[in-house]
Amino acid sequence: MVGSRTLGRQVFAVYLPLAAFLIFLLAPFYWMAIVSLKPPTDLFNLKFNPLWARHFTAANYTYLFHDTAFATWTKNTLVISTAATALSLVCSVLIGYALARLRFPGSGVMGMSIFLAYLVPPTLLFLPLAQVVGWLHLYNTYWALILTYPTFLIPFGSWLLMGYFRTIPREIEECAQIDGSSRLGTLLRIVLPLSLPGVLSAAIFSFTLSWNEFLYALIFMSSGPLKTIPVGTVSDLIRADVLFWGPLMAAAVLGSVPIAVIYTFFVEHYVSGLTAGAVKG
Amino acid sequence: MQTTAVQPPVPAARHRAAGMHPLENERTLGLLLMLPGVLLLTVFMAYPFFLGLWLSVTDSTIGHAGRFLGIRNFVDLLGDSIFRQTARNTFIYALVTVPFKLALGLGLALVLNADIPFRNAVRAAVLMPFIVPTALSSLGWLMIFDPIFSPVSWLLRHWGLVAHNINFLGSAVLAIVSVMIANIWRGTPFFGVTILAGLQAVPAELHDAAAIDGAGVWHRFLHVTVPIITGVMLISTLFSIIMTFADFQLIYILTKGGPANETHIFGTYAYQIGLSATEIGQGAAIALYMFPILAVLAVLLLRYLRRDVA
Amino acid sequence: MTGTRTAGRKGDRSSKAAAGTPRLSRRTLLKTAGAAALGVGALGTGPGLLRWAGAAPAVLKGTSLTTLQATYFVPAGQDLFKKQVQQWGQANGVNANADFLNWPDLQPKISAAIQAGGYDIVELWPGWNYLYADSLVDLTDMTEAYAKRDGGLEAFAAADAKVGARYLGIPHGQTNDALNYRISWLREAGANVPDPAEQARTGKILDLTWDQFFALGKKLKAAGHPIGQAFGHSQGDPPSWAYPYMWSHGAMEVERDGKTVAFNKPMFVDAVKKLVSAWKESFDETGLSWDDSSNNKAFLAGQIAATLNGSSIYAAALKDYPDIAKDMCHTMTPRGPAGRFALLGTRTLAVLKNSKNIAGAKEFLAWWFQDKQYGDWLHVQAGYNLPAMRKWAKDPMWGKDPVMYAFSKEASIGRDQGWAGPPNSKSGLAFSKYIIVDTYAKAIQSGDAAGAIKWGADQLEAIYSR
Repeated sequence: MVGSRTLGRQVFAVYLPLAAFLIFLLAPFYWMAIVSLKPPTDLFNLKFNPLWARHFTAANYTYLFHDTAFATWTKNTLVISTAATALSLVCSVLIGYALARLRFPGSGVMGMSIFLAYLVPPTLLFLPLAQVVGWLHLYNTYWALILTYPTFLIPFGSWLLMGYFRTIPREIEECAQIDGSSRLGTLLRIVLPLSLPGVLSAAIFSFTLSWNEFLYALIFMSSGPLKTIPVGTVSDLIRADVLFWGPLMAAAVLGSVPIAVIYTFFVEHYVSGLTAGAVKG
Repeated sequence: MQTTAVQPPVPAARHRAAGMHPLENERTLGLLLMLPGVLLLTVFMAYPFFLGLWLSVTDSTIGHAGRFLGIRNFVDLLGDSIFRQTARNTFIYALVTVPFKLALGLGLALVLNADIPFRNAVRAAVLMPFIVPTALSSLGWLMIFDPIFSPVSWLLRHWGLVAHNINFLGSAVLAIVSVMIANIWRGTPFFGVTILAGLQAVPAELHDAAAIDGAGVWHRFLHVTVPIITGVMLISTLFSIIMTFADFQLIYILTKGGPANETHIFGTYAYQIGLSATEIGQGAAIALYMFPILAVLAVLLLRYLRRDVA
Repeated sequence: MTGTRTAGRKGDRSSKAAAGTPRLSRRTLLKTAGAAALGVGALGTGPGLLRWAGAAPAVLKGTSLTTLQATYFVPAGQDLFKKQVQQWGQANGVNANADFLNWPDLQPKISAAIQAGGYDIVELWPGWNYLYADSLVDLTDMTEAYAKRDGGLEAFAAADAKVGARYLGIPHGQTNDALNYRISWLREAGANVPDPAEQARTGKILDLTWDQFFALGKKLKAAGHPIGQAFGHSQGDPPSWAYPYMWSHGAMEVERDGKTVAFNKPMFVDAVKKLVSAWKESFDETGLSWDDSSNNKAFLAGQIAATLNGSSIYAAALKDYPDIAKDMCHTMTPRGPAGRFALLGTRTLAVLKNSKNIAGAKEFLAWWFQDKQYGDWLHVQAGYNLPAMRKWAKDPMWGKDPVMYAFSKEASIGRDQGWAGPPNSKSGLAFSKYIIVDTYAKAIQSGDAAGAIKWGADQLEAIYSR
């Protein structure tokens, strides 16, 4: 009973679909990687099999660091993503806790508006927002992005964390308060540590969205060396020069690596955080 | 969404705070905690939103404050064939890709939930399309769809399946199909991982109990698993519709709305009219046409969540 | 020069308009504007004074300056401009940066910069001076002094650089455009192709009508290397084909009055019908998704035998593909029943009113438009940039390479967008909305030439009737 039939079923039900998914989802990355490792003359010679490289070269990668501001873009992206994530996380924890636990006037309306804010996408806001950024003299500073990214990070973060906080039994908090802990103290010392997977989930999610953001970065912070990786790659590496594909793909690979690494380590937390915060809450 | 976590308020805990330190007062503390986030959202979201509303009823151009026009921009757009095409494209783009993403995502989640080797690595790997910067992965697709250097064209020609390179982004139907394929590629892992999170909320005992009762795999899936993940599927679907409706990067990088506007969607057309053609008032109106649609989705979501949470 | 006083007033005006930027005090502005005008004055008074007069005024020290241009198809030109900006910055203690953007991204970025700030000097393409007129610093004095020094503006640059009575940017020319072709392949297809050296000597270029060109294309395509032409949403190659083909078949956006749309003409409908069938028979059909660089790549990869393009393909061939360089030449755009045309109009370097360093921007332009800097920049691109000032037409660079001969004729057939009407914000809008380009793309896609032209005419009507 258990032997070959189950194995056969396992192959058809799991491994074959899995292989298909892996090919569909990863093939473009293979393509990007292989292009980034080819010298340009091979790349544009249509006689060669494009799916493999006849010669491998690191020239496209060294070009990125010697001839473009890729290192600076990486620093910019890192600083902005970290700061925007931290800022959003603080706001989201506070909002999430207030909405999950506290009764105060306007909580319903505010909660709903914040949730609705998730439905106002950057494509709807970028034209007027450009003016606001100009008026506040934020253009071409890190702040232009650090302060605008939370608009799409806080709604999701608050919602996720609100769900998560609700899963924590009230009695634990009450015990702490009876022991003399203040409300804020309880939040910091009891609730937050218990919600760590949720907070981590929100943090990863926010960091990813910040790292990937394109439209605001393209409009609000993109002159000289002040660019993020996606914007710098698109605007500086797509040169009229016919041979730009190699460095472009090298940048695409390098720009993706940090995020991929984070997920390899945290994917389990990310999923369980989502389960607890978004699904159950 | 389960309701297990929601508890009734505990009156004792609420009233005890009265007369204590102001931070122990729920009303003060609640408002105070909301303040930083609400302030940010007001300045950088609510205000520009209303500013956008104002722009959309004026004939403002770049560098030139306009006069009040009433709803003329909105009316003019209805008569603009490019806008009508844009609206049609956007609906097609969202309504075709989302079911594919949902179905593929569900399949992916089920596979990922199974007992597979290197589970974490595999999970992280399949998540890649969703997590790496879209601007960068779209560049990969741009080359995959290249009229001359496309590896897909090369393979198909190599196998003798086609005689000429495929015109992925240059013919009316194929162009939107191509951008939709890239969109499905990017969005499937989002559904996959969210539904996976839902699957993990299915208590194993339920499955075991059903199995002991003699229920088959399909029966168990339909009657044990599906009811529990319906909520998460619905939520992901609504979010995905919103995100797809409001997409920008992928199309901006692949086609910029071409050929002959066959792939323009609201975001890219608003960008072209508002920034390239400098008609920022009309651009704002184009973007705002998204709003009623998004509002309907929002109401649907809220009704669902309220039934569930309250 | 009488510029000092007017420049002072002008500086004052721009400071008022630069709402939302920290304002320089009226005093500094007067001082710096005066200094800039002095620099300009020096330009006009003879070669001895043309050299840069040492260190810039102290106000510039510690400021920053960022320029924005489209990417160069001849990379050496881009590298040189970047170096010049940095060199000027170092000499004057200014933190100076040069930015370059993919062609279709340039205009939205300039719009965003006008809304939010961030750039000082931007490159404007034909028509944009009108669209952004309210946001640009008046550079009339500098332009006129410079034109006087260099023999006046070329005809193609004169019409569209001036908005009313004012120059809102200093013209520096336009990228060139001609029919690039492979000599051996065209000969195999039966064309009577002259030897490059001979055509330059006799002036007898390969003379083609559109019909002949399409017929040639049929044979070329049968031989496996069709004609290549872009019709995607891109602002270089697609319009460079679309406008001349329209004009040479008697159609135009508007009549001379700038109001009467004259797009839907029977001769043009027939011509687009011909193009629609030629698209299948003679062209690389993937061109509908091409951008400005696609035909460069296709030509260098040996995929196409002919394409309308600047000399950037030739420049790249000389560098990396010697076999192709030896086998290629250029000729003028094919002609139609109504004549032979090219889409021209000058690019200008303009200063944004919301720049925080208007004085520095003017100083830089005064420096860059001197013979040394501008000449170096022109020479390194080897003819790819058609200069806006007459003096440079006599530069020895032009006679050097017979393969480049056809480009020297381009200015004579050049027309501005909006022709026969004047170039203005409406023609700029039609251009930015890709109306003319999309008319062709629509016709090719649907096969319905008449319907596509009617669509285009309606769109133009909506723009020009405002």
